[in-house]
Amino acid sequence: MNSSHSKPPLATIFALSAAALAYEVLLVRLFSIIHWHHFAFMVISIALLGYGASGSMITVFQHGLLKRYQGVLVFNAVMFGVSAIACFIAVQQMPFNSLEILWNTNQWQRLFMSYLLLTLPFFFVANAIALTMTRYHERIALIYGVDLIGAGIGAVTILLLLQFFPPDAVLRIVSVLGILAGLLAVYQLSWLGRMLVSLLLALVTVIILFAPADWIELRLSEFKGLEQVLLINGTKHLQRQSSAISQIDVIESTEIPLRNAPGMSLMSPSGTPDQLAVFSDGDEMTTIDNYDGSRSRAYLDYMSSALPYHLHAAPENVLVLGSSTGSELLQATLHHADRIDAVETETLLTRLITEDYADYFGWQQISDRIRFHTISPRGYTAATDQNYDIVIIGLPGSSSGGAAGVHELATSYDFTVEALQRYLDLLKPGGLLSITLWTSTPPRDNLRLFATVADALRNNGIEHPDKNIAWIRSWNTATLVIKNGALSTTDTQRVRDFATARAFDLAWLPDITEDEVNRYQLLQQPIFFLAAKSLLSNNAHDFVNNYKYNIYAVSDDNPYFSNSFKWSSLPELLRISGGGGIAMIGVGYPTLLFTLVQAMVAAAVLILLPLAFIKRNGSSTPARRRNIVVYFVCLGLAFLFIELAFIQKFTLILSQPLYAVAITLCAFLIFSGLGSLYVQHKIAAQQLHRVPQLLTRAVALIVTITLLYLIALPYLTDDIMAQSEPIRIATAVLLAAPLAFVMGMPFPLGLAATRHTDPQLMPWAWGINGCASVLSAILAILLAIEIGFSGVMLSAILLYTLAWLSQPALKS
Amino acid sequence: MRTKKCSQVLLLLFSLLAFCAQNTLASEHYAAQRQQMVEEISADARRLVRSVGKDAFSDSVIRAMSAVPRHLFVPPTRRHSAYENRPLPIGYGQTISQPYIVALMTDLLQPGADHKVLEIGTGSGYQAAVLSELVKEVYSIEIIDALGQSSKRLLQDLAYDNVTTRVADGYDGWPEQAPFDSIIVTAGISHIPPPLIRQLKKGGTMVIPVGSSFQTQQLTLVKKDRNGAITTRQIIPVIFVPFTGGH
Repeated sequence: MNSSHSKPPLATIFALSAAALAYEVLLVRLFSIIHWHHFAFMVISIALLGYGASGSMITVFQHGLLKRYQGVLVFNAVMFGVSAIACFIAVQQMPFNSLEILWNTNQWQRLFMSYLLLTLPFFFVANAIALTMTRYHERIALIYGVDLIGAGIGAVTILLLLQFFPPDAVLRIVSVLGILAGLLAVYQLSWLGRMLVSLLLALVTVIILFAPADWIELRLSEFKGLEQVLLINGTKHLQRQSSAISQIDVIESTEIPLRNAPGMSLMSPSGTPDQLAVFSDGDEMTTIDNYDGSRSRAYLDYMSSALPYHLHAAPENVLVLGSSTGSELLQATLHHADRIDAVETETLLTRLITEDYADYFGWQQISDRIRFHTISPRGYTAATDQNYDIVIIGLPGSSSGGAAGVHELATSYDFTVEALQRYLDLLKPGGLLSITLWTSTPPRDNLRLFATVADALRNNGIEHPDKNIAWIRSWNTATLVIKNGALSTTDTQRVRDFATARAFDLAWLPDITEDEVNRYQLLQQPIFFLAAKSLLSNNAHDFVNNYKYNIYAVSDDNPYFSNSFKWSSLPELLRISGGGGIAMIGVGYPTLLFTLVQAMVAAAVLILLPLAFIKRNGSSTPARRRNIVVYFVCLGLAFLFIELAFIQKFTLILSQPLYAVAITLCAFLIFSGLGSLYVQHKIAAQQLHRVPQLLTRAVALIVTITLLYLIALPYLTDDIMAQSEPIRIATAVLLAAPLAFVMGMPFPLGLAATRHTDPQLMPWAWGINGCASVLSAILAILLAIEIGFSGVMLSAILLYTLAWLSQPALKS
Repeated sequence: MRTKKCSQVLLLLFSLLAFCAQNTLASEHYAAQRQQMVEEISADARRLVRSVGKDAFSDSVIRAMSAVPRHLFVPPTRRHSAYENRPLPIGYGQTISQPYIVALMTDLLQPGADHKVLEIGTGSGYQAAVLSELVKEVYSIEIIDALGQSSKRLLQDLAYDNVTTRVADGYDGWPEQAPFDSIIVTAGISHIPPPLIRQLKKGGTMVIPVGSSFQTQQLTLVKKDRNGAITTRQIIPVIFVPFTGGH
């Protein structure tokens, strides 16, 4: 078959790209459920190197593979479908324990096997796409465009599928989609023996659809809270629901009460009522209280989070940001709040207390006072014009996640300086903002919150923030209350009375004295008090610099609230890691670094390996090869830098992380795909001389638009957030469109030029780009933590410029 | 015929000797590993001066750690790692704590020969066995049925006769045997259970490790003074002072 006279199998490429991106997102969900999110990120990052491996393999064997193109394409498509499900089943069979990885080197072998297995599906799909590009090299931009558009559609499809089906069922669907892509290839290529192949594919599809459920059933780590609770006699699994962002399990314990009451004082006159446990992704337990309107809820008044209600009795209205399973709502109603606005992003949690377990929760008793808003706290506070007596930020799920450091890499816009400024703006005169967090020893998150609050107050023009703050702590929680106005002596006396009656410690009051701190929950040093004193003084900067954890105030540009890792403390932490010190290092940041090292080593091998072959058989020069490496590495890094930075920016604008990911991915991939199709149109009919000109224009536009957004977006964000949802979505798409369109051009332009001068290096260039994309996802997070997302976007600008300067084969 | 019988007897004797020799060698091997473990945790303890105000575990705690065959409390497949200074999984999503943490928790309880101790979370039974070497009576409660049964059998087989176990909810403690000189709570809790405070003798001590399954982040030491007043104290299991000079 002469490639210049036949049509490339675009529908097959479209379907495969959609399935591959869907599989990637799905794996993140699956591994977040069976292990933990940071581990999921590591495994999937490495597995994506399958793209790089494919490029290396095709570079070496391209002649043989191209001769059998039809068969190889069908084989790879089908193998993607089969391996997508088979490799996941195989990985689940391995008794791997990610928590033990710091202690037990034997776990490395299992981790390595997981990498190898999960690399396979991506390897197969990359083979199909790269071979098609090599085969139909004169339509490379067209194929790349369809590949991107397919991936964009895949991004939306998987999130929709996950919203309506459980993740294990979605795994079957994605797997079948891969096989159907193979079937499509058979028909598109009019391949001989297609009846036989079709029958075979149909058979495989049936096998996958009817594979025993227990093969695919998710086997959660036995160390996850859900698995441990289920081991207790008398526990019953009542319900499982899943959405694109979480899997919710509801558990009843009929024999042994759950008794969840974070930091409850020993002085509490009553214990907890009956409760149902609610787990998110098999961990992070919260509870639904059984309330029938008559039983005592007094225990809710004996938690540190009850403090604001003792400073503002019978508030007219209360805003609860992050209402979860309703504990803060019950607390507000106990303290006679007339009207409560409850903001919760996860609808499944809201549904549990208002529908599924409404009678158990006593929803009817309190529903007339509560109004729910399904939106992020930032989205709600940006849009509302209400003012409140009390604003509460609910305590996140169980403390175990925080202790293990599993949230360190999660971004949160709820605790940034900008967020706190807005929450404070919502307070009526004399109103109170109250935030409760879990404590850790030595304290990290709580000190960081205090530093951020101090900055927010100063930014809001409060000259003496120390006058507005009360801070108390229990055995394992700390509550920070900020008043809109100075705390009076009556207020401070009330705080003292509240704390003394519950044996809670004072950490800060405007008139606090050193001898009244650290009385009940003794720390080696009264760190909370000393930190507060320093952070409110002129020496705040020195204190933050000298503290051994990172407690800098958090901003929207660097919203890693839970990442407390500090490079300067690493040597000491490693020195004490032998005894019990390993717990002092959170796992998030080191995992990220470790993932980067692994990915760099693997990428270097995959990029360098084909060179031995190229040197012997190719005609390219070392300089051309070097330029190809620089060009495609820069593009691979820069594209994802911008895409990931935009996902973050849009998380704020769209007020829903799920929308942000779906819309950003979809818009970026589809508009980039259209950009690539435009390139195909421009360089068709052998007009390769236009490549340098087009590349210059594209890079100039990328740099200009990115700089424009960098400057303008911070000023526009608040205004956009205040708009209605359709306008916010439309704005996000409109913002993404022009930038994504031009970002879709440099890659196919580079490939077209490479095809012209070094055709045998095209698959290699594709592989290099694949490797760089993997590194990019990891590097972007590391950079964002260190220099913020603006820094990530500036780095992308530099990389695009460097790519333009190198533009490999074009000059020759 | 006679020759055959003789050779069979010889073979049997040889097998018995080999078995005994193997057991002796294994015991000696584990004893040597145990000694090494004790030296390692003693070295760690010397770095604890600022955390717990003393620079060594008490001799009695070290003796107890040297005496208890930890390898019998871990699954057979993990025995080769039994004396490494790290936590190990024991099934049912539970772990046997790092030896250093076991020694530290035991030391913090200040066990006396006439003491009665309550343990919430029997787990493998190892902590109960260590305490059993030091105090008069140990009462241990496990919430997971299968784990409670297996540790009960093991403690009986190893003749830790002063340990009594049961499968129950530890939150309510063991009122029939209260009060206790000290209590150790190794189960995850969201608040300190008031019934346990009530069952703690005046002047008694409670230790609660906090952290994920494989990482003890801190130890909470609860003290009930002579007047019944309660204070808690957070102890970091290693020397790590978050402030630097000048603060």
